[in-house]
Amino acid sequence: MTIAAPTAATAAAPVATRPLMRVQDLAVSFDNGAGPRIQAVDGVRMSIYPRQTLAVVGESGCGKSVTAMSALQLVPRPPGRVDRGRVLFRTKADPDRDVDLLSLTDRQMRDIRGNEIAMIFQEPMTSLNPVYTVGDQIMEAILLHQQVSPAYAREIALTAMRDVGIPEPERRITGYPHQFSGGMRQRVMIAMALACQPSLLLADEPTTALDVTIQAQILELLRELQRTRDMGIMLITHALGVVAENADVVCVMYAGRVVEYATVLELFDNPLHPYTRGLLASIPRIGTRKDRLVTIRDVVESPEEFTRLPGAAEGVRPWWPWHQPPADLARRTGPAGDFDLREVTPGHWVGLWRTAAVREQESRAPDLDYRREAPA
Amino acid sequence: MGTYIARRLLLMIPTLIGITFLVFMLVALSPGGVGAALMVSGGGQMEAQSRAIQQAYLEDRYGLNDPAVVQYVRWLGRISPIKFGVRDQVAPDGERFRPPKDVEPPPAWSLFDAQPPPPPPSVPPVTGTQEERQRAYRRASNDYAGSRGRLIEARLRLERTLVEFARGSGRKDLVTRDGKLVPGAFEHEKPTMTQEQWAQVGPAGEAAVAAYKQAIIDRARLAKAFESRPFEEAGVPIIPGVLSLAAPDFGRSFTRSRPVLDLIMDHLPVTITLNLIAFPIIYMIAIPSGMLAATRRGSMFDAVSGTVFIALYSVPVVLAGVLAIGYLASNQYLGWFPAAGLHDTLAERMTFLPSTGPDGVWVRGYLLDGIWHMVLPVTCLVYAGFAVLSKQTRAAMLDNFNADYVRTAKAKGVPARDIVLRHVFRNSLLPLITIFTTIFPAMLAGSVVVERIFTVPGMGSLLLDAISLRDREVILANTLMIGVVNLLALLMADILYALADPRVSYE
Repeated sequence: MTIAAPTAATAAAPVATRPLMRVQDLAVSFDNGAGPRIQAVDGVRMSIYPRQTLAVVGESGCGKSVTAMSALQLVPRPPGRVDRGRVLFRTKADPDRDVDLLSLTDRQMRDIRGNEIAMIFQEPMTSLNPVYTVGDQIMEAILLHQQVSPAYAREIALTAMRDVGIPEPERRITGYPHQFSGGMRQRVMIAMALACQPSLLLADEPTTALDVTIQAQILELLRELQRTRDMGIMLITHALGVVAENADVVCVMYAGRVVEYATVLELFDNPLHPYTRGLLASIPRIGTRKDRLVTIRDVVESPEEFTRLPGAAEGVRPWWPWHQPPADLARRTGPAGDFDLREVTPGHWVGLWRTAAVREQESRAPDLDYRREAPA
Repeated sequence: MGTYIARRLLLMIPTLIGITFLVFMLVALSPGGVGAALMVSGGGQMEAQSRAIQQAYLEDRYGLNDPAVVQYVRWLGRISPIKFGVRDQVAPDGERFRPPKDVEPPPAWSLFDAQPPPPPPSVPPVTGTQEERQRAYRRASNDYAGSRGRLIEARLRLERTLVEFARGSGRKDLVTRDGKLVPGAFEHEKPTMTQEQWAQVGPAGEAAVAAYKQAIIDRARLAKAFESRPFEEAGVPIIPGVLSLAAPDFGRSFTRSRPVLDLIMDHLPVTITLNLIAFPIIYMIAIPSGMLAATRRGSMFDAVSGTVFIALYSVPVVLAGVLAIGYLASNQYLGWFPAAGLHDTLAERMTFLPSTGPDGVWVRGYLLDGIWHMVLPVTCLVYAGFAVLSKQTRAAMLDNFNADYVRTAKAKGVPARDIVLRHVFRNSLLPLITIFTTIFPAMLAGSVVVERIFTVPGMGSLLLDAISLRDREVILANTLMIGVVNLLALLMADILYALADPRVSYE
């Protein structure tokens, strides 16, 4: 067995097990002035289920944030441009039919933003407007999406602040962002994001700017809120420790492509792409003594690392942009024509060169309805 | 905040003293001095002799013959609301009276009189009703002015003869380099004089001694008249006779013989009216167009508005004003607008609103006449102002468009218009407040060039005239006012900063 057999299309599955959001073959590029366009994201596929945490991992500039921002149409256009792809999303209003977020008008998109999909950002220090009280900023989202009186919106905001663990919300609601610590600001951001009960939260490195204890608190809070609200979370990060503790499914990205997609246990136990192996190998371990850490380069520069996939004999090779494409590359037209994300073993997708051996096989899009914990 | 404002207000006092001291010294030390300018305005045709007498008289009257620092301290004492010594008296029309100045005996007294200079004679006190006391005071004041004038003239003649004598008799050490008598000369030595020399010096000296004796009598009478309090005393006493509080006295204009405050009150409303029309126009055009240019960065509107504003900014107001008069106001061209002034000569007889007169002729009325006269000056005040403000607005908005909180607002689903107005513009207010502080004082100082070109009697004209005539009191009052307004505008900007940005706090 080399590559998993295709299974039934996910669209036929019942509502409860259908993904909340599916990213299909997304490609986004940016204008680079006189130079060629920069392909930030190309051929990205992923899916998120309710109550699932999908961790998107990768180094800076690999396209994690662009993927998330595209879902909300937050990529500035110009210079950005969506070249291909769809982002299908199950709205609260019409759960039977998915809408393509990329095709929505600005008006329709505003109803999704903050209401159905919320996003929190990396920099809690600058992501809040300095001239308005945190209460005003939380209530702004509520008043935009819910037909409630300002007084009631204040009650909702207070509840949201209480839910995210801000002490004395009645007093803090009139505070300005600069009067809050970094961790408290990120809690305010989360309260603001969750005030309208969104079904999907895009968390773009929510803990990068925070120290480790606050980081753990915030992630614990997100898990807790996820359990009580059936919310899907796309957790963008480059901390593998965060991934190991919080993610259900992991999506590893490199140079704008998804190079590996699997459940968290599978990924850590059995990384298939050399880049993922390099990432995992580069983590120092307590209790071992080393003069020099293993770098990603150590791993990805050894050729035998690239011949360990099942079916390697037939020419199944992990995709790696710095390699010469294999001789039997069966290119499709289009920028990502040399690349395919394939289910190599059941429930484990790897980014491959689209060689003849790969092309002959059918494969389903990455789709894992998996959670580490049983529903509450 | 309260303590902060109080501290800033207190700090204004030394700042203002510094500003006025600098300006005072510039005026006092400028070549020719105040007296020379007064002479030019007083009568260029006069003989050198009488001109010198008039200059000496004026310098004495305005205290210009004292050292500049003494003059400044005296001026400061008048401006200060805290007064020391005997309180001034004020007539109902605002005229102020002070105790009479001391009289100095003429030089070389011992040459002409065996007795030393007599002490001031004792004079009976003035009594009667207030009106009688006022009349007595006026009379004494007139007498003293006359006798003091004669004393100045006599002393000047005496000094000149003494200088000639000293030069003639080889006593160059008694003459200063600019041809004046060294202080204290001929006090202790009696020079031997020929008959001829005495014929020159003697009568002049005797006249000076006589004038002095008359002057101290008149002065004593005036002092008694002043002591009888013919007028209300100014302000409130804190320690009677030593310390009191009173309104600042800006003095009287040298050249126009009117209280400076009156002059400012005449000219200030004109300038304020012009600017109250001009500045809203600038703000209401520049800020929205700056916002629009930022929102549609790189668009046609951005390019065109930027170019037009910069082009307007580049036209000197002198040229623009003259061209406006030449083409728009001159009857030989379009003649649409009046060329000068703020009102028609007949405006006082017009009704306020436009109306049809009894003979069926349409009269534009006082209001419309004023607006019609203001079109060109206001245009000239306004056209150059758009560039800075709109560019600043645009730059500040662009800075904030890329801010993280704008992305947050978008992710919340805030409509684009609210993002611009609520989030971006609110954060772009600080630079606009800064510009406001530079523009606001200009509002009161008046635009000198525009007022000159269109013959508008505003603060700019007043200050320009005062400078060219070295009208010290007007210049200083203007400087003080501009200084106060500038400092208040800075303070106001700091308060506005705190209101606009909660991160700014003065606690």
